[in-house]
Amino acid sequence: MSEKIMTYQGMKRREMFTAYAFILPTFIGFLIFIVGPMLASFVVSLFDWNLLTPPKFIGLDNYQQLFADRRIGTVYGTTFKLAFTIITCNMSLGLGLAVLLDRKMSSVLRNFFKVSYFFPYVVSGVAIAIIWTFLYNRDLGPLNYYLGFLGVERIPWLNSSTYSPWAVVIADVWKNVGFYVLVFLGGMQAISRELYEAAEVDGATAWQQFRRITLPLLSPTMLFLTVTSVIGALQIFEQPQILTNGGPGDATRTIVLYIYEHGFRFFDMGYASTIAITLFVIILILTAIQFRLSRRWVFYQ
Amino acid sequence: MTTQATTQLPAVAVKSHRKPISWGSIFTFIILGFGAVLMIAPFLWIIQAAFGDTTEVFKLPPRWLPANPSLENFEDVFNQVPYHLFLFNSLKLAIIVTIGQLITCSLAAYAFARLEFPGRNVLFVLLLSALMIPGQVTIVPLFILVRQLGLYNTHAALILPALVNPFGVFLLRQYFVTLPTELEDAARVDGANVFTIYWRIILPLSGPVLTTLAILTFVGMWNSYFFPLIMINSPELQVITVGLTLLRGQYGVGALGPIAAALTMAIVPVLLVFVFLQKYIIKSIVSTGLKT
Repeated sequence: MSEKIMTYQGMKRREMFTAYAFILPTFIGFLIFIVGPMLASFVVSLFDWNLLTPPKFIGLDNYQQLFADRRIGTVYGTTFKLAFTIITCNMSLGLGLAVLLDRKMSSVLRNFFKVSYFFPYVVSGVAIAIIWTFLYNRDLGPLNYYLGFLGVERIPWLNSSTYSPWAVVIADVWKNVGFYVLVFLGGMQAISRELYEAAEVDGATAWQQFRRITLPLLSPTMLFLTVTSVIGALQIFEQPQILTNGGPGDATRTIVLYIYEHGFRFFDMGYASTIAITLFVIILILTAIQFRLSRRWVFYQ
Repeated sequence: MTTQATTQLPAVAVKSHRKPISWGSIFTFIILGFGAVLMIAPFLWIIQAAFGDTTEVFKLPPRWLPANPSLENFEDVFNQVPYHLFLFNSLKLAIIVTIGQLITCSLAAYAFARLEFPGRNVLFVLLLSALMIPGQVTIVPLFILVRQLGLYNTHAALILPALVNPFGVFLLRQYFVTLPTELEDAARVDGANVFTIYWRIILPLSGPVLTTLAILTFVGMWNSYFFPLIMINSPELQVITVGLTLLRGQYGVGALGPIAAALTMAIVPVLLVFVFLQKYIIKSIVSTGLKT
């Protein structure tokens, strides 16, 4: 009897060791490449370090510099404006197109639309941004050429502080809207058809059905999309870096571009870390707020 | 009720009962069709420019078919930069990281799904909390670390950090817990050890979710730009995304032809894979919400 219990315990112990062995590769990497750098970024932010000379401890000087840095306000302003515009456009366009795609049509046609909207999403942001630098060319670009038929003057898309943020937004929405379309479409197809049939019997119009059934029941989908896209949009980097390199002036300089420049152009590791910490804190706060708010407007079927 | 009535009528009458094409569906088709044209046209324009005559391609009105088709632009690309190496490096890194992640993630996921050990829940939550930390926030210390380890300007600097994927562990773990335990119990009775169960029973049953993770990882790695931009310095080690910007830097923004040829070589393989695997790719990305 006791022998049997021993072997059972022995088995349990062996299972325990196997389990630790199984999670070991992930946790070594987790500590070295995620936790370590996360904690280290606070330490680095206390130093003046250009990688060439040894790091010099300067206390909170980098934070002082942060509060005195006028550009950081501008850069965060640009980042938030871009993020807000991009998310609004993606959500509304994505929802609109998904509603149209959800109507009766042949499955071949629907699939063709799905594939053509979604394809740019899997292409690298770099390739997309380079394509758009050509499309945006003021004198030879197809965009201005076709807009000319609508009577629009040639727009200096990439060289004007009025238009360059829009250039970033358009290229980003063009790349990503297909993702929103398909996620919304998935959400709509999960809504029970009986609800619509019941509403129809009660004489609800198409708009009422959309407003009272589709929208509320899509709220979990919208929560998911806003959480992921806010975090993504605050980190937007490729499009502004390649299209305009943040310019003209600071018109399209986003926070990650600013971190990149301080860290890897000016080699100011301490200050770059300090800015990165502010972004981290902002993302944490925004995510917490979203989950708080979501309790009030998310409905589940 | 009406359907019941129509089914009893002869075929001709059924036809006459059919609704005429409504204005609504015409409107739908026009909007969706216009959208599809906007999505496809830029790719067509780039591909025609790749095969076109360098002096002709960037002229108005925009061309949609190359005037004098040639491969001159492609030759130019290879003369200017080691583009074959960029393609090779991207492919190599994407394959290594995909296989590596499938191993590391599935091992950890199996432990969290099925094995009992002290600290299991705490460690799992700890790992998931990493999802809140965007990679760009820790890039500076990570860069310093990579330099200290002597990995700067090596592919290891891109591979090693990519082998940890808390989301991948989560995705696989959620799938593993749904698998029935009977097979495992039977194997255990037969004396199979944990690794055998994981390797012979769990993995073969998890084809769909492993495919999903593989697609997400491969696409993400193929498209990655921020890390190689920072970690790699030598052109011969560079990947295709940064390679495209290098090429653009050499030509300037006016040279549509060669850059279009490079873009075509970067995009067409993705397009082919996408066309063949679109169902899996769309499902994988949409269901998990990958942000590339």
